[in-house]
Amino acid sequence: MKRSVRRRTTAAVSVAAVAALMLGACSGGGENGGGGDGNTVHILVTKHALTGPMADMAWVSDLEEMADVTIVWEEISSDWDQKKSTMLAAGDIPDLIVGVNAITDADLVTFNGLFEDLSDDMDALPNVQGMFDAVPATEVMATQPDGEIFSVPSYRRFWPETTTRQYINQEWLDNLDLEVPTTWDELFDVLTAFKEEDANGNGDPNDEIPMDWAPPGNSGFGGFQATSLLSSLGMPISDGGSSTYFVEDGQVGSIFTDPRYRTVVEFLRECYAAGLISEEVMTQDYSTYQSVGRGNGDTATVGFSWGWTASDRFGPQLADQYTATAPLAAEGVDPSEVVWSYDDYYLNYGVNAITMSAQTDVHDAALRVIDAFYDQDMSLQVLWGDFGTNIEKTGDDSYTVLPPADGQTDPSTWKWTTTLADLGPGWIRDDIDVQLPADLDEAVTQAEPLAEALSHVDPVADVFPIQFFSLRSEDSSTISLNEANFASIAMQNWATWVTEGGVDTAWDAYLQELDAAGVNQNLEIYQRYYDDYVASLG
Amino acid sequence: MTVTDTAPLKLNGRRHAPSRAGRSGGRGLLRHVRRYWQLWLMALPAMVFVAIFAYFPMYGLQLAFREFDFSAGLTGGDWVGLKYFRQFFDSAQFWTLMRNTVVISVTTVVVGFIAPIFLALLVNQVVGRRRKKFFQTVTYLPHFISIVVIVGMLQVFLSPTSGLITRVAQFFGATDVNYLGDTSTFVPVYVISEVWQHCGWNSIIYLAALASVDTQLYEAARIDGAGRMTIIRHIDFPALVPTMIVLLILNMGNVLNTGFEKIFLMQNPLNLGVSEVIATYVYKIGILSNQFSYATAIGLFNTMINFAFLVITNQIAKRVSNTSLW
Repeated sequence: MKRSVRRRTTAAVSVAAVAALMLGACSGGGENGGGGDGNTVHILVTKHALTGPMADMAWVSDLEEMADVTIVWEEISSDWDQKKSTMLAAGDIPDLIVGVNAITDADLVTFNGLFEDLSDDMDALPNVQGMFDAVPATEVMATQPDGEIFSVPSYRRFWPETTTRQYINQEWLDNLDLEVPTTWDELFDVLTAFKEEDANGNGDPNDEIPMDWAPPGNSGFGGFQATSLLSSLGMPISDGGSSTYFVEDGQVGSIFTDPRYRTVVEFLRECYAAGLISEEVMTQDYSTYQSVGRGNGDTATVGFSWGWTASDRFGPQLADQYTATAPLAAEGVDPSEVVWSYDDYYLNYGVNAITMSAQTDVHDAALRVIDAFYDQDMSLQVLWGDFGTNIEKTGDDSYTVLPPADGQTDPSTWKWTTTLADLGPGWIRDDIDVQLPADLDEAVTQAEPLAEALSHVDPVADVFPIQFFSLRSEDSSTISLNEANFASIAMQNWATWVTEGGVDTAWDAYLQELDAAGVNQNLEIYQRYYDDYVASLG
Repeated sequence: MTVTDTAPLKLNGRRHAPSRAGRSGGRGLLRHVRRYWQLWLMALPAMVFVAIFAYFPMYGLQLAFREFDFSAGLTGGDWVGLKYFRQFFDSAQFWTLMRNTVVISVTTVVVGFIAPIFLALLVNQVVGRRRKKFFQTVTYLPHFISIVVIVGMLQVFLSPTSGLITRVAQFFGATDVNYLGDTSTFVPVYVISEVWQHCGWNSIIYLAALASVDTQLYEAARIDGAGRMTIIRHIDFPALVPTMIVLLILNMGNVLNTGFEKIFLMQNPLNLGVSEVIATYVYKIGILSNQFSYATAIGLFNTMINFAFLVITNQIAKRVSNTSLW
């Protein structure tokens, strides 16, 4: 009897112990980060995968000093999209969220009330107000339809007007005694020669890929893609067509339903059928596409392609073989109509670079941090790295961006490794003097052949200014639902038409299908916002 | 399962005379709890766990019938009834999504159900303990490869220009097939790689069932002159049937749950027509476009269908073979 009682007690104790352990494990994660002393600001920052820890950036302590705060960073380098929804839906956000478009316009609308309206705090943000006055576009970008300002954009000033540059392998042209093509027909002939002959001179006539472009997404196009050919026909796209919309003479249109898009598809189909386009163009991922472009040692594999800079696209070893070219002319199109993807708003501005929580208990300290980010020196350091190692201050308002300290990395990688770079908030003043780093210099130089085409683009009447739109809740959901439906139909047809053909017979049914999926409804909505935007510019 | 089922019986038999049993209602329950409180205490963490993580979150399902409004909270939005369900049924994508989801998941369930059984019967025939273990390990190792790596391997092996498998297929005359992009090859590529990866792992449970077959049966069969195939057909196979049915019912409960990650990673514009399934659509709509109510409605619809399949399969199994979950 005694023994059995003891056994029962032991059993009960061990059961209780197990239960306690489990409960303990559950409550382990609930520790609060503290704060509330008016000086500790919690900041979530979304960084590029390459970027090192915030603690390694010297400007961070300057920032703390300038704003008289202690910053606790929460650093996100991957999968932000997945983490974000749950974090926002739970309403549990840190005092500040830093990172261009970390919080999208759609988030600002969906989670109304979660973010602080900064429009009544502008007195505490002299630097931000200064940027709004000096670069009025930033204010339009930040302002919601009802006048609230939930987030502040960044302004980078020095970037070229377009992401995409067009390259052809000059060495191959010389080897085969050909000229740089200036029209679609000439391009077709040149690419055929690339394919049939041993253009790279390594003895194998079959290892040349005449044309290649960046993998399109499943929901739209983007930079470095074949949509660049649309500009030969005068369609003014922006951001390489990533929004799938364009504006021409004040009229919003869809790339997918425009007859000029069909013409491009037909031309690409001809090229694909003739074996002039990489067979993997529709299925490869970005890293494969990049590594193919780098060829084998000194032997190039790609003849004609698009990229940011020659050294980024083809690697430093092959960059010299390529020459940047002007947009191609298409038959029957006047040269004055030829345009190029206008990406100034995307490259020189960063939407929603910093956002503040409405529930913060360190309201004033958070405002001081926002303002400190927009200080002249701070902006430069956030963008290119610390004074001393990354930037040299050569005068009151003049600076030189230094080459990578380790002498091996390329300048772009170096920038992304050492600081927030393009993802950070900041305002690069228009009146300062900056000696640009080599990668940016290269991008600017190689964009020169595109300058004339870009001059045909009116930055207001011919650009789809998605960065400036702050959609109302119901419009936002209609638009994204329709896009989810029609973009996948359109992208699938795009891929099929280029690789297998069939655009002639399917085009009319396709237009009807897209209309049923809501493409025209979206155009109407965007036209309204576009008209309001034009009106707001005065 | 077995342990918790038999334990009360033992306690009951040992300590209490059967004559005391059979008191009425509430007092009976009280006595029951007093008598078996240790067992209830042991089961408590599991019950709490299920309640907190499976039942409690279900209150969020009302989001499918409400307009999501962040400032009003999860349950505070306006009641819109079946609006989001209608939106989904009327959507241009509805039939495409349903067809793709059913084709991919039914093929995976069927092929993925049969293959491990054959593999288990095969492994069971391998002579020699070490050889058998080696064979088994080799077949179940791929189970541990991460999905991202598997898809990366598929990209490399099936690349139209340099892929190993593409080259081998070319050798046998299958030229000009883009296994990654072609709409007719997406489902086979998905299913075969899925079965290859998980077949060995799923066969373990069948091997356990086979190990429990009484060896006397084999000896008796051999004395009666039965060959290898006859033994498999009349001894091994019947021994597997109860396991097969339980697994089939459990699989049917997931019939519309296609593997999100793998399909998402394998998607490209060329195969989008057959690779867009409910799971990837919900991700694009719900997570990337913030349409929480709509995504919840689609998810609920998906779960209802799975539940229906589970119940139906269970009923059929009960009728046909007397094996069922409940």
